[in-house]
Amino acid sequence: MRLWLGLALCAGPLAAQSARARLEGRVPGAAVPVVDSLVQRASGEGLPTEPLIQKALEGGAKQITAPRIVAAVEVSLGQLRDARDLLVHAGDEPPVTPGEVTTVAWALRRGLPDPVVERVLAALPRPPRASAMHAVADLAAHHFDPDSAADLIIAAIGQGLVRERLLDVSAAAAHELQRGHTHAEALALVRQELPNVPTSPKPTRSAVAKARRPAAPPPP
Amino acid sequence: MNAIDPRVHQALDGELSPEALSPELRRVVEWVVTTAAVLAAPLPLASLEPRVMALIRRPVPSRARRLLRWLATPRSITFRVRPVWSLALAAVVALLTLFPIGREGPDIGEHEGIAQFVGRFPEAQSVHVVGSFNDWRPGSIALEDVDQDGVWRATVVLPAGAYEYMFVVDGERWVPDHLAERLVADEFGRENSIVIVRPARR
Repeated sequence: MRLWLGLALCAGPLAAQSARARLEGRVPGAAVPVVDSLVQRASGEGLPTEPLIQKALEGGAKQITAPRIVAAVEVSLGQLRDARDLLVHAGDEPPVTPGEVTTVAWALRRGLPDPVVERVLAALPRPPRASAMHAVADLAAHHFDPDSAADLIIAAIGQGLVRERLLDVSAAAAHELQRGHTHAEALALVRQELPNVPTSPKPTRSAVAKARRPAAPPPP
Repeated sequence: MNAIDPRVHQALDGELSPEALSPELRRVVEWVVTTAAVLAAPLPLASLEPRVMALIRRPVPSRARRLLRWLATPRSITFRVRPVWSLALAAVVALLTLFPIGREGPDIGEHEGIAQFVGRFPEAQSVHVVGSFNDWRPGSIALEDVDQDGVWRATVVLPAGAYEYMFVVDGERWVPDHLAERLVADEFGRENSIVIVRPARR
């Protein structure tokens, strides 16, 4: 038990230590120490560091200037803090899981209002909530009212639909829109179908045969 | 074979009256006359025809019933196989079981799924997909336009999860996936596409 606790406590700082190595040569030199310090700070606060590293790497790949990369990483850090606060406010015991912070940060970035996120969190007291959040955000992206979208997903949870199938609910509603129904009709139709919404197709055998793994990144 | 009394012949030929015969010979003559009458009577052809026609008119059993009957009928089959061929056949079956033909592509883990990237870039010389699944490293996942129709594709095994990505056309032009339904601001003034990879083994 002590060993696991020790490993868990070391994991954050170790990840933060390896951040600089991942950034060197991929991000403008001027940005590396600043981003690294932001990563260290996030690690110290118990926040996930990977989204910050990814944002810096993305900026470097897109040949963005150092100040703009640092600004974007600062924005990302702020989003992670907001996500953590929202989780705690919704009833998650601190320290909150980094995976859940990332999930809520995604939901906020995708434009879901705080009260909607909190409602979904309350409906799913235990992680993982990624599928539910993405399902609501997908519906909002299709111009469904976020509150109504959350109602539908919460109804699906209430009907015992497994979490991974929640994405099928949003897909079914989007499908009803494509068939010419209004947003209200689409929501009503899918609600009637619950919990028997169509399952999204699995990858075909030919798709699996063609699939390949991305090449491993070269050593830093 | 017993010889027939000549007097019986004479009586049958009408040369001798049956009354002139002894009672025993008279019974023989009567038996022969009766038997000859029976043999001379026409065969009951009229009764054969209906039976044959009835057989012909009987409904033909269905194909399934005939197959069932064929399968159920015991038959003896003799195989003459050299032991060397039996061993060769067993070896082939074992090899096919261990190394199945036509199984291509990677093994997909329990927490992995398939992501398919498709983009239409008719003038492009190269298209890559770059995102948080490959540390935003350009050049690691190339799309292919096998039939030269301008539609570029890649199918990739990724750990289940959500990722941001963009296409890089000809090594310099960053383009969001116009077919993706999920988009998010990238904080650099553009939008990234989002792909959610679900576990393939659901």
